[in-house]
Amino acid sequence: MNNLTVSRSLGVGLAGLLAAASLAAAPAKAARTSKHAGQGITCVQCHGKSARKEAVPMRQCVGCHGDTVALAARTAQIKPTNPHQNRHYGTQADCNLCHHEHAVSENLCLPCHTRFTFQVP
Amino acid sequence: MSQEHHQNDLEPDPYTKRVLEDGLSRRSFLSRAAGGAAALGLSGLGSLPAEAATAPEAKGLAFGLSGDGGATLSFLPKPRPIRDREISETLTFDVVVVGAGASGVPAALSAAENGAKVAVIQKAPFALSQGNTGSGVDLATSEKAGVEALVARLIADSNHRCDPKLIRQWAYNSGEAVRWVIDRARKGGATVVDQGSPVQRAILKVNGYPMGYVTSFFGPKPYTTGDGMRSLAQTAEKAGVRFFYNMPAVQLVQARSGEVLGVIARGADGKYRKFLAKKGVILATGDYQNNKAMSDYFVPDVKHLGRKQLDKTGDGFALAYWAGGVFEPIGHTKMLHDFDAGPPSMCDMPFLAVDRKGRRFVNETVEMSLLNNYLRDAENAGHYSQIFDSNYMTQAAAWPGKLISPEGLKNYMPDDPSPKKGVFESQVNTHVAGTLEELARKIEADPATLVATVKRYNEVVASGKDSDFGKPADRLIPVMQPPFYGIHRRVRVSAICSGMLVDERHQILNAEGKPIKGLFAIGNLGGGFYGGVDYPLTVFGLSLGRCYTFGYLTGRHVARL
Repeated sequence: MNNLTVSRSLGVGLAGLLAAASLAAAPAKAARTSKHAGQGITCVQCHGKSARKEAVPMRQCVGCHGDTVALAARTAQIKPTNPHQNRHYGTQADCNLCHHEHAVSENLCLPCHTRFTFQVP
Repeated sequence: MSQEHHQNDLEPDPYTKRVLEDGLSRRSFLSRAAGGAAALGLSGLGSLPAEAATAPEAKGLAFGLSGDGGATLSFLPKPRPIRDREISETLTFDVVVVGAGASGVPAALSAAENGAKVAVIQKAPFALSQGNTGSGVDLATSEKAGVEALVARLIADSNHRCDPKLIRQWAYNSGEAVRWVIDRARKGGATVVDQGSPVQRAILKVNGYPMGYVTSFFGPKPYTTGDGMRSLAQTAEKAGVRFFYNMPAVQLVQARSGEVLGVIARGADGKYRKFLAKKGVILATGDYQNNKAMSDYFVPDVKHLGRKQLDKTGDGFALAYWAGGVFEPIGHTKMLHDFDAGPPSMCDMPFLAVDRKGRRFVNETVEMSLLNNYLRDAENAGHYSQIFDSNYMTQAAAWPGKLISPEGLKNYMPDDPSPKKGVFESQVNTHVAGTLEELARKIEADPATLVATVKRYNEVVASGKDSDFGKPADRLIPVMQPPFYGIHRRVRVSAICSGMLVDERHQILNAEGKPIKGLFAIGNLGGGFYGGVDYPLTVFGLSLGRCYTFGYLTGRHVARL
């Protein structure tokens, strides 16, 4: 059982803090597992310059990637169900629930819906 | 509630007394910590720096490990108050409801209908609820003696640890409240019916006294009370209630006197907003099943069992506790079901049941709602299967429950191509196979173990006496004739239904047993309504019925303050 949200969000929070710490020490260096870094995106573009580092809020994701309603339309045909349009969050699930930048992404559906075997990028 | 049940204000009733003595509050915690912190590993709490403005889980993890290191009290440290200069906007209402679920939405609408200016702040993007059935007593068709007999039955169901005045309050007000929810939800466009008394087959008479029921049904699945509450929220909006979604509450605004003046919430834009409440804040945030620290501490039984809900992190528990409220003592009541893998009407039928590996583990007359107690280890994690052969329609015909034909079972079979109706398609898990080995693979059990279990079970059946588990002889039928059937169920936490100490106005009490001015709790956040090991299924739909009723009453009460 790994669908205890607090432990997950705590994990995200800690990952964010760790990433922020390494960036404070060596601002020029990219985070080791960052997918974005490979595309020339710097830490501060997501994490900001504030002294108090927090996990990247969803508004930061959609600022570049666009609105989640449009995203849900693009993934409407995915079988067995559209991961971006569901009864729990509608089209407003927080990206960070599944997609991780500095850790392996996870399939939030799977613990309950054992046949929703999406590969999460 | 009748006059004779009123308690003397000076002396708390036995329920309240027990919770004040054994429950967990900031006051009791600090005094106990001073008296013997070492056993709990709590030293250092007094010097906890309270810096973070949101719940400081990361810091809390360093404190309060239980004896076995498993349970933490990371929800305990009170965050530093958010300063006024951090607030982007202040809004003023009469009543602020935190949480838009099966108690919060009714509370908001009820308050608005009684003249209050109401806000609902909700963490999720819309109103949420689960389940289909919510029930009440129809006083017009019930004998008074029957109502009292039902109250007594529910108190016994809770192992005599609940607050009787809250059970009576439900019994004498629920018919009116559930009818009101049906009417108002329908006005918002909901698909809802009153199934009345027939669905409450087992309690049409209680101790011989006739009873009638109001049984609201939002369904069939996949339509649920969640859809119903979204419709009820439409009605509430028309009545003037303002809903703020994606707006989790993070702190209460509390005066030095202890009076609660409002709530601070944080929007998706990251900004804090202050919602002042002139009459009161009603917390309706649901249970805490997704808060690992709270779960492991108050109901460690479910440590290895799956959760059915998301984001039920017990926000209201933390808010109420920080404000001085009292948690009910450790050993909270839990609700674990699986009505979805196969037909609900067959879930309590005493077919051979095997654990995740394929071993028989129980006298199968134990109800599905209690089987979690046998399957709570990490290996089983709530998994078991009901096994029967192709003669079940005739051989089990006399059992209580309702058998579904082989054709009807296809609706619950993921491997059958037939279109599914009235079920959660992703949760159906019924299988059929020509051999036991093949069936074992489909129900994810060990084939050799299942074959051996069935062989032994058939010997027991042939002997006419269950010398292994003592099941009655008329509940023993063989598993011989292919094809074989297996319903692979997985009980998970639907809800945890113990809460914070409240009085009959649903006002949260502090560690001295005094009401905290301006602070109320309803739904699964409210304590006193249960108390047993497991949620009772005596009244089908009791949980939602209680949520509607206490929401309806509390909204009205606070609006009239």
